[in-house]
Amino acid sequence: MTADEYLSEVLASQALGDDSEELKALQTHRSDVEKLIRDNFKNTALTIRYAGSKAKGTMNKESYDLDIVSYVASGDNTAGETLENIYENHKKALGKKYIVEPKGSALRIKGCDPVNLGVDFHIDVVPGRFTDDTKTDAYLYQSGGDKTRLKTNLDVHLDHVRNSGVIDAIRIAKLWRVRNGLPVRTFVLELAVIKLLKDQKTKCLSAQMEHFWTELRDNPANLCIEDPANPNGNDLSKCLDDNLKSQLASAAKRTLEQIKSSDWEVVFGNVQKQEKAARIEILRSAAAVATPSRPWLPKA
Amino acid sequence: MTWQRDDPAFYEKEKAEIGAHFSSLHFVVESDLVYVRGSFPVVFEGQALDHYTIELGLAQNHPAVLPIVRETGGRIPHHEDRHINAADGVACVLIPDERWRFWPSGAPLLKFLIGPLHSFFLAQTMVEEGEPWPFGQWAHGPKGIFQFYRELLQTSNLRVISTYLDYLSAKRVKGHWPCPCKSGRRLRDCHFKQVQNLRDKIARKDAENSLAILKTAGTSAIELTEARPRTPTLPA
Repeated sequence: MTADEYLSEVLASQALGDDSEELKALQTHRSDVEKLIRDNFKNTALTIRYAGSKAKGTMNKESYDLDIVSYVASGDNTAGETLENIYENHKKALGKKYIVEPKGSALRIKGCDPVNLGVDFHIDVVPGRFTDDTKTDAYLYQSGGDKTRLKTNLDVHLDHVRNSGVIDAIRIAKLWRVRNGLPVRTFVLELAVIKLLKDQKTKCLSAQMEHFWTELRDNPANLCIEDPANPNGNDLSKCLDDNLKSQLASAAKRTLEQIKSSDWEVVFGNVQKQEKAARIEILRSAAAVATPSRPWLPKA
Repeated sequence: MTWQRDDPAFYEKEKAEIGAHFSSLHFVVESDLVYVRGSFPVVFEGQALDHYTIELGLAQNHPAVLPIVRETGGRIPHHEDRHINAADGVACVLIPDERWRFWPSGAPLLKFLIGPLHSFFLAQTMVEEGEPWPFGQWAHGPKGIFQFYRELLQTSNLRVISTYLDYLSAKRVKGHWPCPCKSGRRLRDCHFKQVQNLRDKIARKDAENSLAILKTAGTSAIELTEARPRTPTLPA
């Protein structure tokens, strides 16, 4: 198998089809979340839409999120006067049914019923308010940043990624981030891939990835990204600081070495599909040679 | 006291060993505490069978106590059946008193990761697939402590177990003390070597905690599901 055939298999193994259990579960949660928000803001004209990797076509099975934006119309104060109020009121509304974890401008929801306690539903709700009646630009509340307000534009973000011509490279880079435990935000990674591959679009995927990692390894300091929806207003430099650049550079160096000394399979593993019975057999074999330690729980 | 500042060479050694074995795990220092974060692979014969996003919180007196383990990907329900504490999401990989078997004092952190931590996540994957816990599981809370010491000491007598724990928690033990096996003999004439051996393996603090857990639970809570205490038959 060539490197590109292998990467194609990797992408196929990470695809989340419309009929996949994961996506069905996400869509059910999405409906519940939307109903919960609308029930709580009955007098508010809300725009609730998909954003994130679902809308961009960059979802991977191994790590996926469903971003849902919930934007209030400009001048509408029924969901809260300030952006912070809107954010907090959404948090309160979602908290009726979920554990809510604030995450920058988003609210991450997790299960709070006994069966799903703490289970991450991979859903981020991003509350905000449109800047005007054109319903294009929006302001988001930003917790924990220098500025508490962030101007953004969902469609510009989606188009920037969807029309980048490097969707497959973005998906591979996202999987690489997960496999290497790199603490880089998805949007930042997407922007980095798009920027570093802007002149590489005609190349094959394996060449694109090698170029991406080589740039990360050799020129991390030169890597600067900007928010396409607000290039001068949103400073993304803190999302890609020297420490993170250094981590990306080390991981890129390691990956390139692995490809050179072994092959691509060392980077992303075997992607051959396994039947359930075969997988269980392998797991049992792994257990047979593993340390036989037993789990406990301090509280009965 | 922070272990990474007190002994930077040890910190670097731990970091290098983990980095060499698990390229997807990273050391992070936050508020003077060391965390190991990233993607943890469940591996068999060089192939990754699964991945979990994890965080290990290393105590300020690392490696004296077990790391605090959390699965941060939100994949495992916080449920006692999955050995994840509902209140704080902490995974209980093993009974601290048992660590000498799998991660003895002085062993590198890597041994904990490739040993009990790997087994814990392998077991989670198997349970997800509908398989039973491959290595069994301890009962929760005091019953698990009792179960562990019952197997270790080969006795179901809670009084005997409590006395052992008392001796393991003591700063030092004296030969003229009555033997915990309740034989009526002095310790030096009975199970002295065994007690010393256990004191070498089980940390005083862990024994003390276990004793407190058993005492708080009370006899009835532990023995409800147990057969009548048997006369101990302790190996000398």
